[in-house]
Amino acid sequence: MIARQPADLRAALSQTIVGQQGVVEALLLALLADGHVLLEGPPGLAKTLACRCLAAALDGAFKRIQFTPDLLPSDIVGTRIFDQHEAAFATVLGPIFANVVLADEINRAPAKVQSALLEAMQERQVTIGPETHALPDPFVVMATMNPLDTEGTYALPVAQMDRFLMKVNVGYPSPEQELHILERFAVEDAQPLRDVASLDDVRAWRAQARAVHVDDKLKRYVVALVTATRDASGVAIERSDGPSLPAAGFIEYGASPRATLGLTHLARARALLDGRDFALPDDVRAVAAHVLRHRIGFNYRLATEGLAPDRIIEAIVAAVPAP
Amino acid sequence: MVRLRRLTAPLTLALAVAALAPPVAAQSLQRLTVQSFGLGTDTNAPAAGVPFHLIVTLRVRERVMRIDNLELPLLAELELLGDERHLQSGPGGTEYRETIAVVARQAGTISIAPALLQAVDARDGRAKQYATNGLVLRVAGPAPSLQGAASAAESLAASTLRVALLVLGVCSAVALVVLLARRRSVPPPAPPRLQPVVPPAAPARTRTARDEFADALAVLSADPSRATAVRIRTVVWSLLGAEEGATLADVLARPTARSAAMSELLRALERAAFTYDEDLPAAIARARRALEHVLEVMT
Repeated sequence: MIARQPADLRAALSQTIVGQQGVVEALLLALLADGHVLLEGPPGLAKTLACRCLAAALDGAFKRIQFTPDLLPSDIVGTRIFDQHEAAFATVLGPIFANVVLADEINRAPAKVQSALLEAMQERQVTIGPETHALPDPFVVMATMNPLDTEGTYALPVAQMDRFLMKVNVGYPSPEQELHILERFAVEDAQPLRDVASLDDVRAWRAQARAVHVDDKLKRYVVALVTATRDASGVAIERSDGPSLPAAGFIEYGASPRATLGLTHLARARALLDGRDFALPDDVRAVAAHVLRHRIGFNYRLATEGLAPDRIIEAIVAAVPAP
Repeated sequence: MVRLRRLTAPLTLALAVAALAPPVAAQSLQRLTVQSFGLGTDTNAPAAGVPFHLIVTLRVRERVMRIDNLELPLLAELELLGDERHLQSGPGGTEYRETIAVVARQAGTISIAPALLQAVDARDGRAKQYATNGLVLRVAGPAPSLQGAASAAESLAASTLRVALLVLGVCSAVALVVLLARRRSVPPPAPPRLQPVVPPAAPARTRTARDEFADALAVLSADPSRATAVRIRTVVWSLLGAEEGATLADVLARPTARSAAMSELLRALERAAFTYDEDLPAAIARARRALEHVLEVMT
């Protein structure tokens, strides 16, 4: 079965992954926008399954790297070993040479290992000894973080977080969805659908996504959204148990211009996924939280007030009128 | 920025459309505490061919030097003669008044949409869109001309008028010659001023949604441009009760927008507002069909 449209791939993934439609859509958007995804959520929420299913559906190579404190950069990118028969060094490529790479619990490895991965994500190539190797195309990294168990972890630096196109919060399924999961997968594991689309399809879709029209009004809206994260004066956080709070009091620094680009790329990808060749304000709004939540620095007041970062982002998005 | 629409051409339709602009970002909105915002006229019995005034009044608690993001209604059925703005600011706040001189060319019922103001509500920090009341005016026919008078009397009146005009012309020529001989610089004539505005009368009744859709179709047919589509999109969203800054998904979720015809209209207008130029004619054609369908359903 060859998918003609990205929506076909979404439908195929939804058959296997129950209760995580947001994650499925986010993975597809990242694939279409040629970006990488950071998934944050408790264990057991089908993060790994979603990545595995995506790779299987694309007939692409899938590699999973479990990040641990003793991991070395060479465990990811590869290394050179001495071949005694040939009396020469040979290069062994690491698990990063795959179309879909799952970096599980990325914050468990020290900074130098994180850097090795993130540099590869940015440059799309790896240098091992004297040789430079291009990574496969498409190349998507899906990294996970567990927010519950933070002991012995290394927080990702801000500059490295910025390299993820989107950060997706993976939540628990609803009771109905969980019942569906129980009925379908209690006896046998989920079997990913294979070869729904080809890697050539993905490359063609990416070209289509890049050609999606973004109107000037929408570009101004994207810029207004991102600049509002830097100057949130006038944005209020409504609370049911007290007076509203100024959002600016919770923000240490706003999103970078990379967020502006990311919002536009993802809005284009969402329009394509929806079968349109022009983007809408709804496309921008739908991806805004994914793009902004890991690019805004929040101060200690957020925790003391018991607010989630997404509350601030929601207030900012609501305060900027859509065109 | 208050969009001034001073007309020199009689076709107000095109002018009303030309003044369109997309909504502005929250950062550029004024922070205002709106105390009153209304639309009225200086007469409740307008007649065709007789100028009258539409008056937009706005009172805010803040002292401001100007009012931004005020959108006047589409005046598709009136000819616009002039526009005068007056802003008075003091310790008690600011009162803004915009007086629009218009004239109806035909008798009948004229519906005027609300004026809109986009501002950040200083009380809660939220960006909002305020709207005045709408107006429905019943325009009487022109004053009847003299009929049935004796032809001799008409002839005499016409002769008298011709003589008067001749005398006036001769006097003017003499005055001009005298002025040129003295070679005095003549100050430019003072710009015509509008007559003092009479306090607005109470509006007759608010116009119906169908009136708005019919106007929208007429405007879009007359000027099938993106700017028109954007303006109509704003009006339709306002009719459906959409809040300021909403997106299509927000509007589609409203109970007033759940019919198939309205949903199609909203999607068609969204496409016309945001699609690429080559697709615009098809998008506007779809929007017109959707508007026609909505009008059919409303009938």
